[in-house]
Amino acid sequence: MTDESPTTAYDLAAKGQAAAAAAAGAFDQLPIYLPGVECAERAAIRALQLEKLQRQVRYTYDKVPYYRRRMDEMGVHPDDVRTLDDVRRLPFTDKSALRETFPFGMFAVPMDDVIELHASSGTTGKPIVVGYTRDDMDVWSECIARLVQMAGVLPGDIAQMAFGYGMFTGGFGLHYGLQRLGCAMVPAGSGNTERHINMIEDYGTTVLVATPSYAMRICEVGEQMGYDWASSPLRVGLFGGEPCPPALKAEIEARMHIVCTDNYGLTEVMGPGVSGECLAQRFQQHIAEDHFLWEVVDPETGETLPEGEYGELVLTPLDKQAIPVLRYRTHDLTRVFTEPCACGRTMARMDKVRSRSDDMLIIRGTNVFPSQVEDVLKDVEEVTPHYHIVVETVNGMDSLTVETEIRPEAFSDSFEHMNAIKAKVKAKLDGTLLVGTNVKLVEPGGIERTAGKAKHVDDLRR
Amino acid sequence: MTVSQISVFTESKPGHLARILRSFESADVNVRGYAVSDTGEYGIARFVVDAPEKAKEVLKDAGAAFTVTQVLCAKLPDKPGELARIMGVLAACGVNISYSYSLISTYIVLSASDADGAERVLAGEPVELVDQEEIASFRFV
Repeated sequence: MTDESPTTAYDLAAKGQAAAAAAAGAFDQLPIYLPGVECAERAAIRALQLEKLQRQVRYTYDKVPYYRRRMDEMGVHPDDVRTLDDVRRLPFTDKSALRETFPFGMFAVPMDDVIELHASSGTTGKPIVVGYTRDDMDVWSECIARLVQMAGVLPGDIAQMAFGYGMFTGGFGLHYGLQRLGCAMVPAGSGNTERHINMIEDYGTTVLVATPSYAMRICEVGEQMGYDWASSPLRVGLFGGEPCPPALKAEIEARMHIVCTDNYGLTEVMGPGVSGECLAQRFQQHIAEDHFLWEVVDPETGETLPEGEYGELVLTPLDKQAIPVLRYRTHDLTRVFTEPCACGRTMARMDKVRSRSDDMLIIRGTNVFPSQVEDVLKDVEEVTPHYHIVVETVNGMDSLTVETEIRPEAFSDSFEHMNAIKAKVKAKLDGTLLVGTNVKLVEPGGIERTAGKAKHVDDLRR
Repeated sequence: MTVSQISVFTESKPGHLARILRSFESADVNVRGYAVSDTGEYGIARFVVDAPEKAKEVLKDAGAAFTVTQVLCAKLPDKPGELARIMGVLAACGVNISYSYSLISTYIVLSASDADGAERVLAGEPVELVDQEEIASFRFV
């Protein structure tokens, strides 16, 4: 700090103060749940990870026949893990392994030691069911306590749950974690929006846990009821359950006068709490590295990628007792950085997941992700970020066409100008995707607005 | 003396032009003349209408990409050689016409790279330029 003037003290329990402190760079005033861990030296984190990895691989090999068989087939033994890089010698785990062994085939402990089960919704075939020992629940709660503090939640806050409880990990995960921190839980569950608003008013709720789209609904219904969000005690929104577009989050923050963060996690490795957003880096999330070893791999080859490169996130939980999965293929695409964060934490940061490896297109041998197209279009002022990709076979070759909307303000009465816009978009796309593209300008609103990523692409090959 | 021309971005697909025209109809905007050019993929539809302000409003509400430019509109005597005469005058003075179309055969729209220059050139010739008011009021039998 070069500023020698007396620092302002922020009353973090007051609305807007955590965001104000973050905006002023006063991160030393914001809470960190476990500073000794979250702000540890990188070398100490790596040493702890290695120690835990060795123990976990041994435990997994001894307790789970599935992994013992796979490792024996690959000729790898727990003793072969001498450095963190040796994790690459271990087998990957895919969702299919958990499906095939449904329900308890991957469990490493007898059911007597399991105190809770959760399941992920199975859109195809059987769901994935996971179990937690008391220690697993303890780690989970601790991870949640960390990420809610990143958002400025404090002991004594009143936290209202607007997720459904049930088998989904989000409801109970946040519930236990918030209790761990010392918050009073209001287990309202999802639905009955007016009641949510009444409860916020009656109980003085300060923290709302919801999907971003349901938070928006609560916001709107409150406005219709004449509820004044600006003077509401509600201070923090904790989002999850679905991707949160930055624009939606910003709108909710502005209209409800709250700070909102979201976190990342998946049932197969624990649930929410693998990583969480701090107030210094709103597009990234800190990974709980003492509990999860991360790798970023090429989704095609499985080869480890250099730090900072986009690839598929692979996670190895380092403490899981009930279901100890090794190198879980998340199919989520991100990149990870390990430089310290302005918030003071040294735990690695991953970019928020915006696309999955399932979305990846291979165009004439080059990997192309729809999110790259979105990134390019975002920076071209003459077009909107809405796009549609059509992949076809033309004369035996892959042909990729990106349709993008011209902005009304960018239109002029000149074909030359229109062609220049097209050429500009094409040059930027070609440079980023490293494949030749065709660009098609369409009218404003001409691209269908959908939430699902799959809708962005029509692959007409074959 | 110029008239307003409304240029609209169009995609080369069925129904696009019809939709624009229906929106004009709904706003009681009368199209006095138009020209559509196309690249095979997208195009520009250019309209001269009686009530440009109303047309702009309805296009804006529809979220269309459009722009309004000022163009010259000349009323030519309906006889051989008149079109050749006006183009010849402009050519002789080095004014480039990027496109031109007629409303009816004797009313032609000209978009010149140098609109003021073109207007000055034509002012010195026996050419009758019309204004927006005349666009709104003229009646053809």
